[in-house]
Amino acid sequence: MTLLRAENITVSEGDTPILHPVSLHLDPGEPLVVLGETGSGKSLLAQAIMGTLPKDLSPKGRVVLGDRLLDAARPAGFRPLWGREIAVLPQEPWLSLDPLMRAGAQVSEAHRLVRGLGAAEARAQAQEDLARLGLSGAEDRYPHQLSGGMAQRVAIAAARAGGARIVIADEPTKGLDAARRDEVADLLLAELAHGGGLLVITHDLALARRIGGRIIILREGKVVEAGVTRSVMAAPAKEYSRELIAADPETWAVRRKPPAFAAVLTATGLAAERGGNQLFSDISFDLSEGRILGVTGPSGCGKSTLGDVVLGLVRPAAGRVERAPGLPPTAFQKLYQDPVAAFPRHRTLGRTLADVARHHGQTQCQIDALMPRLGLAPVLLSRKPGAVSGGELQRLALLRLLLVRPKFIFADEPTSRLDPITQKQVIGLLTETAEGEGCAIMLVSHDAALVGATVDHVLSLAAPQKHTELNAPIVAGALQ
Amino acid sequence: MSDAVVVPRPAGRAVRLAGATLVAAVLAFALIGPLIVPGDPFAQSLMQALGAADATAPLGYDHLGRSIFHRLAHALRLSPVIAVAAVLTAGAAGLVLGTLAAARGGWVDRILTILADALLALPGLLLVLIVLAIVPGTALGFWAGLSLVLWIEFFRLTRAATRDTLASPAVEASRLLGFGPVYVFRTHIWPEIAPMMLTAAAFGTATAIMAIAALGFVHVGMRAPTAELGLMMVELLPYWREAPLALLSPVVATFVLLLGLTLLAGSRET
Repeated sequence: MTLLRAENITVSEGDTPILHPVSLHLDPGEPLVVLGETGSGKSLLAQAIMGTLPKDLSPKGRVVLGDRLLDAARPAGFRPLWGREIAVLPQEPWLSLDPLMRAGAQVSEAHRLVRGLGAAEARAQAQEDLARLGLSGAEDRYPHQLSGGMAQRVAIAAARAGGARIVIADEPTKGLDAARRDEVADLLLAELAHGGGLLVITHDLALARRIGGRIIILREGKVVEAGVTRSVMAAPAKEYSRELIAADPETWAVRRKPPAFAAVLTATGLAAERGGNQLFSDISFDLSEGRILGVTGPSGCGKSTLGDVVLGLVRPAAGRVERAPGLPPTAFQKLYQDPVAAFPRHRTLGRTLADVARHHGQTQCQIDALMPRLGLAPVLLSRKPGAVSGGELQRLALLRLLLVRPKFIFADEPTSRLDPITQKQVIGLLTETAEGEGCAIMLVSHDAALVGATVDHVLSLAAPQKHTELNAPIVAGALQ
Repeated sequence: MSDAVVVPRPAGRAVRLAGATLVAAVLAFALIGPLIVPGDPFAQSLMQALGAADATAPLGYDHLGRSIFHRLAHALRLSPVIAVAAVLTAGAAGLVLGTLAAARGGWVDRILTILADALLALPGLLLVLIVLAIVPGTALGFWAGLSLVLWIEFFRLTRAATRDTLASPAVEASRLLGFGPVYVFRTHIWPEIAPMMLTAAAFGTATAIMAIAALGFVHVGMRAPTAELGLMMVELLPYWREAPLALLSPVVATFVLLLGLTLLAGSRET
């Protein structure tokens, strides 16, 4: 029996269609993944099925839910189903939990108000739900006392409390590292085992692979390919799907290690602390021209701080960083995680780049020559940072660094906010820069596959508390 | 996941235009009025006391037979000039000190913040009165006293916004690229604080005009026979029954000017 069937769902803004007819069905026990990059219309599809689209967008189509027939054009009809038939898993659970309410109360509230249980019964049920998700004893904690993973489980418990059989998860792994991502995927699949339906919306290929089931690949509001996830992933039929799946870091060809040249920097016995807690200590490495050093570790372990110490932005608690003699002060540069935040937001990009070029004795021709090399259209220069896509802006940020002729670039999660295809492009440009310009790169990433395929050496930082027990010096790179 | 709540917001552009029109109308009256109808704000003619409007005095005469039209025009030049001078001084001082406090931090920041907080603890009008007692010349005293009160607002705004901006990745990137403090101020800090500064300046001007009028009204500001808005109101107050329009004209002029400035300030998106 099909749990949910959506037929010819379209969404248009005024007269412009932004989602072309899409049909899908959810069967019990078989997850469905909607995969697509930003702007592909995947979230619009989910919102049209739930009846939660913004007012200025008009949906059309039919949704069959059990024995009910709903018209997507009349979203009011969906409202009674929220929580009872369809549960929505919020994107960032710690933002959707009430910060002033204890975890147990957030779940029992849904039992009481959505399912209509009595207060005592709801409390008992909430306790049972949390225990089932391995959260016994966490009922009395406030969201800020929960870890990200625990908050996610509380949000799942609260979303499911109404007894909904269909769960829609919109980008459930946004901003999570690989370990947490797998945890969330397993949690979603465990919910599925009770015979419910699961619809996962994501741009994350690893999540799609782990969820399995069936897949729909969307691009610019159109279905590119649909089928069984495993077979689509193994043998995509369409060119775009091939490109998308090839962009998955797990399938990247491993970069050949370039020969070592002169050292750009030598770090000896570095240590740093934050708020009195030691982040890392006794880290030594050296980095030579053209080499890429990958830095990995769980969030909060001091990856960004290490980079800032090497750049000289943060003073280390111990140890020192020696730059190769004769390098100008601007030879060490940084590529930011969020490129929008790294540009002056009131200035057009062209002016910002022209300023940098002038400051470093370069001409406008230099910019014009670099633009096509990085695959950028000249029209972007007349825009402000907020009006350019993340991938283009990250390439413009790289262009800005190239104008300075850097010898070292600290790339802090430069692609974590980008789509797989753009990510591959940016990392490709970065490795080209390392080879072409003889630039040393320190690349921070939470994506083990990406790091494995890209870097020459890996420096793994452990979580801070464990690290204090560790006294052996961590040495990465070849000290020649 | 819920319907977007649309907060009703007056159209900023229309409000700004309305404010600018009101201020421009008052200033046009003050600057051009006496050119069209020449006259002396201090010339007395007791025969005309509380008289009705005529060709040489389009708004009638006050209790001493002086043309209200010309006194009002004079008053509407005096208060805004002092207010604008005070706001310019206070704005410049607040901008420089606020940027300095945010950029330097440490002791410089602490001392300036303590100074601003200490001055903020004193009632503004009291501070102006104290300065008026010390500085010779009423207009000069008002300028000095109001500047001393108004710089705090500019200082606090600049310091808060500049601190956030200086801590942003955009500024860090500019510094790594080799740009100095002047470039950072020009491209990062000024575009952030300029709209706030203009809003604060419009509010500050309104506050200053109000302060001058309030102190004039209680006979501790400008001295007679100076034509000043508050002083005109209090002088004409005893004759409200005989000459209501004479009393109303400075009241309306003050109201229109303050309303215009407030609309100008409040309509900006900051």
